Amino acid sequence: MLSGVLVFARFFLFLIIGLLLYAYYLRVPRPPGTMPDQVQATGTSPIREVRSRLEWRTSMKPQTQEWGTRLGVILAVAGSAVGLGNFLRFPGQAAENGGGAFMIPYFAALIFLGIPIGWAEWTMGRYGGRKGFHSAPAILGVIGKGAAARYIGVIGVLIPLAVSFYYTYIEAWCLGYAWHYVAGPAIVDPAASPGSQMRQAADFYSGFTGASENGILAAGSVQTFVFWAITFGVNIWIVSRGISKGVERFCTWAMPAMAICALIVLARVLTLGTPDVAFPDRNVSSGLGYMWNPNFEKLGDPGTWLAAAGQIFFSLSVGFGVIMNYASYMKKNDDVVLSGLTASATNEVFEVGFGGLITLTAAFVFLGASGTAAAVAGGTFGLGFTTLPMVFAQMGALGALLGAVWFFMLFLAAITSSISMYQPALAFFEESLGWSRQRAVGLLVAVCLAGSFPVMYFSRGGVFLSTLDDWVGTFLIFVLAMVQIFCFSWVFGLDRGWEEAHRGAHIRIPRVFRFVMKYVAPLYLLVVFVAFSVRNLPAWIRGVAEQPLAQGALVLIAATTALLLICIRLGEKRWRAAGLDLDGRRPAE
Amino acid sequence: MTVLGWVFLITSLACVWGLAAWCFYKVLSLEPRRSDEPPRG
Repeated sequence: MLSGVLVFARFFLFLIIGLLLYAYYLRVPRPPGTMPDQVQATGTSPIREVRSRLEWRTSMKPQTQEWGTRLGVILAVAGSAVGLGNFLRFPGQAAENGGGAFMIPYFAALIFLGIPIGWAEWTMGRYGGRKGFHSAPAILGVIGKGAAARYIGVIGVLIPLAVSFYYTYIEAWCLGYAWHYVAGPAIVDPAASPGSQMRQAADFYSGFTGASENGILAAGSVQTFVFWAITFGVNIWIVSRGISKGVERFCTWAMPAMAICALIVLARVLTLGTPDVAFPDRNVSSGLGYMWNPNFEKLGDPGTWLAAAGQIFFSLSVGFGVIMNYASYMKKNDDVVLSGLTASATNEVFEVGFGGLITLTAAFVFLGASGTAAAVAGGTFGLGFTTLPMVFAQMGALGALLGAVWFFMLFLAAITSSISMYQPALAFFEESLGWSRQRAVGLLVAVCLAGSFPVMYFSRGGVFLSTLDDWVGTFLIFVLAMVQIFCFSWVFGLDRGWEEAHRGAHIRIPRVFRFVMKYVAPLYLLVVFVAFSVRNLPAWIRGVAEQPLAQGALVLIAATTALLLICIRLGEKRWRAAGLDLDGRRPAE
Repeated sequence: MTVLGWVFLITSLACVWGLAAWCFYKVLSLEPRRSDEPPRG
């Protein structure tokens, strides 16, 4: 207990030092002419000076950032949606919930939940952009017509920001694994017995990720930290270059590169045949059957429908706050209907077309039905970082190359997602505080360091990480999605929203989706949310009560929320002073 | 793999690849926006 208190005290000490350094940075005098005269002349009081520096811009600068091409925004949103879950979570969910039959509730959730809410997000984002806003709180304030929606909209910054605290860390594992396949030494010895290989893979994962002990990264496992630093640096560099030169340019080459990597691995997996003649049933056809043979009995289980809705929901990045931010950089007559559908379709190709064919098929061919079942039971991380290294070890000379390609592809999938997590927070700091991008990047880095270090330090058992994932990366996504679809269909008004969605649209949404967006999607979402809460919340609350690390994670969430609330309060004052229509009272131009 | 497994696999792949192909065909066959055009001269 005492040691737990000590590590928390150490963390908060680092946090306070960081904030003091940042306050000092704010106080450093700027060269003449870089700030308005009234701010430079605010006297000697440090508090007044810092306050003045926080509020020094009282007029909104015209927002000049926008997407360069039509394809650029589609690939960026698709890149945000395609992540580790497409390749590692989806196959496990499908295999556990009816195989091929899982695709019935899966496609139902895609049509009635994912795509309609996605269209609503795209439309709200572009509308908010026309009003001069780019962050979820400001956009929801406009759509939801008031402060309540604006303050709830803070969730739309909290989710991507808090998820980035741990997502970038996992991203670094992908880069580290890819590097190990290129530079060695081998993660798993192919000559060892299956049991020994399993231990080697598990030991490597445990040591590399710090799952075995708290503080292991600080104690000596420096390489993971180095990979994290590289990953974090690349992310920040990309978003600091802006929407067009940074995010769009990166996604425009990363998405095709990811597709090429996936095709290479898929081609190899589908041509594995029957690698071990001693086990003739371990072949590609049987491997595909493990994932795709339907079990219709599972359709009677509400859990299957819940799993399908959850998978669609998290996979498409709806309810994350990201799509609204990205869409806010579109021009007022840019299409959102075809763009939203194309981004969703691209995500599905990676999920069903690649994830549904590669992961479990490869595991089955080498590990058989029992080994694959154990891998699926091991969850996303077990499947991706323990089982697949064993599979690549069986592939002979090509194994190392395929391992490198596979983990580099996962890294690309992760980084196109993580940059979409930093961008909403960056936009929020810029527009709420009236700061330049460089200063906002400085604050973003400070907040991310304060949030990421505890995730890396308190790594034992992944409790800290999974608590953040449960409460922010899962629970709050449901909440934000419900707020979004309610604001769009009921507060902003479906007729107005429908008209807004079709401004500049290249295809028309079938009229039946008016009914879907107004009644079906909100009700579907509510049912899923209630069922999800009944199933999971009691255990999560018990976990928080019993585990100090889980409590620490909640403290981090609370501290981040408090910071964002302060920013939105300052932003409100600025936006009012600048005469912006922050409550959505006037029609957009 | 059973026949029904193949049916579900092929149908699902046809749906996602077909939708994506149709969407990208529509997007790429549109007139370029002014900012998409290469600079003149």
